[in-house]
Amino acid sequence: MKKDLLAAFFILLAAAVLLSGTRIQSVEEYYLTHVDDITAESETVFISIRCDTIRQNYDKLDKELREGDYLPADGVILPATEVVLRPGDTVFDQLDRVARANRIPMEYQGADENGFGSVYIQGIQYLYEYSCGPLSGWMYRVNGEFPGYGCSRYVLEDGDVVEWVYTCDLGRDIGSQEIEGGGGTS
Amino acid sequence: MKVLQAAHPAVLLVYFLAVTLVAMFVWNPAIQLLALAGGAGYAFLIRKRGELKGDLAFYLLLFLLIAVTNPLFSHNGVTPLFFLNGNPVTKEAIVYGVAIAGMMLSVLLWCRCYSRIMTSDKFLFLFGKAIPRLSLVLSMALRFIPLFRRQMKRVGRAQKTMGLYASGGYVDRVRGGLRVFSALITWSLENAMDTAASMKARGYGLKGRSHFALFRFDRRDALLLLVSGLLLLLTLCGVGAGLTDFSFYPTIGELRRSPAAYLTYGTYGALSFLPFILEIEENLKWTYYRSKA
Repeated sequence: MKKDLLAAFFILLAAAVLLSGTRIQSVEEYYLTHVDDITAESETVFISIRCDTIRQNYDKLDKELREGDYLPADGVILPATEVVLRPGDTVFDQLDRVARANRIPMEYQGADENGFGSVYIQGIQYLYEYSCGPLSGWMYRVNGEFPGYGCSRYVLEDGDVVEWVYTCDLGRDIGSQEIEGGGGTS
Repeated sequence: MKVLQAAHPAVLLVYFLAVTLVAMFVWNPAIQLLALAGGAGYAFLIRKRGELKGDLAFYLLLFLLIAVTNPLFSHNGVTPLFFLNGNPVTKEAIVYGVAIAGMMLSVLLWCRCYSRIMTSDKFLFLFGKAIPRLSLVLSMALRFIPLFRRQMKRVGRAQKTMGLYASGGYVDRVRGGLRVFSALITWSLENAMDTAASMKARGYGLKGRSHFALFRFDRRDALLLLVSGLLLLLTLCGVGAGLTDFSFYPTIGELRRSPAAYLTYGTYGALSFLPFILEIEENLKWTYYRSKA
């Protein structure tokens, strides 16, 4: 009897740990992010999300994505948008906020889940890494240059231009010189 | 007597491979449902007494576990239901998880039927000549777990007669289990050595050694092989023509509803239910003859 109680207690404890570690939000709650209004003195950055490269590699694209209209025909998922820069914002913070505000589905791997200590963007708008051939994935450039390290380590400054671009060839097709391990990376 | 038990091993192997491989690699809900239903039906017919209750709980638990795991790791899909730690749990991922779980379940059930019907002597009969070593190791490995379980019960009983009862407590029960387990490990190592040595002593795998076999390829076998081969061929034609293509991400696709697609489902359904039907037919015959007597 006593030991049964002990077992029940442990199960309860495990359940409590599991529940306290998970945060459940409804869809509305999740997308309800506050976007700061741009005022005269606010610092801003520009951010855009594009996937032009899939048009040249249409034959390599997943069949499911070719049917249906998940991806915009002109390759522009998000046109260059001016957003307010909060102090200390990284590229990832901005992407996350902008994706939520515009209801663009985005999936990422947390910084604690991978080897290189930064958030890794797995997919935006149903377009995932490896969706368009084995060398495909999301990369980002700031002011026209590829930083070559993770997007949650890059702290933005006033007036920066962030572009999220999809590569089908490890970045070579979008002008990145660096060749990194794994599918296109950021 | 199970009908398939009398069939030739080669036919059995072809049949089980066909039905299981299609169930494994064709990602289509209709096909998977048919495989699951056929496998479950046949497993039910050839079950051993008292097997059902424990198995049902196990398979249900396994099904739930796999089905729940997928949406936790896969967040693709257009219909988010809620967000867990900032990641969407989508309807598509849940459906995909259920599909994986169903596939695993049906493959498990078919493997169980396979191991009931295709005993190790049949396996050795088929491959003993061509790949003696590998087939011996395989047949030993395949029968290892049921053997282990049987021996575990035996050792447990022996321990009980020696007065080593486990009281109600968990700690005591675990300790008793470990005692049995350590005895089992020793026994199984010794057993494997024994088997290998005794096979060697009988000249297993030597050249020019004749083979004892009970199996003859008769007309019934030819018919069974022909039917299952034809059904498989038709199914594969349908799969090759893309009739069974189905997508889960980003939105759940639709089943093809053309006559040709129905024909493909039909042929695979027939393939999957073949042993079930044969078994039922045999049972009916049996009861019919008995009622006459």
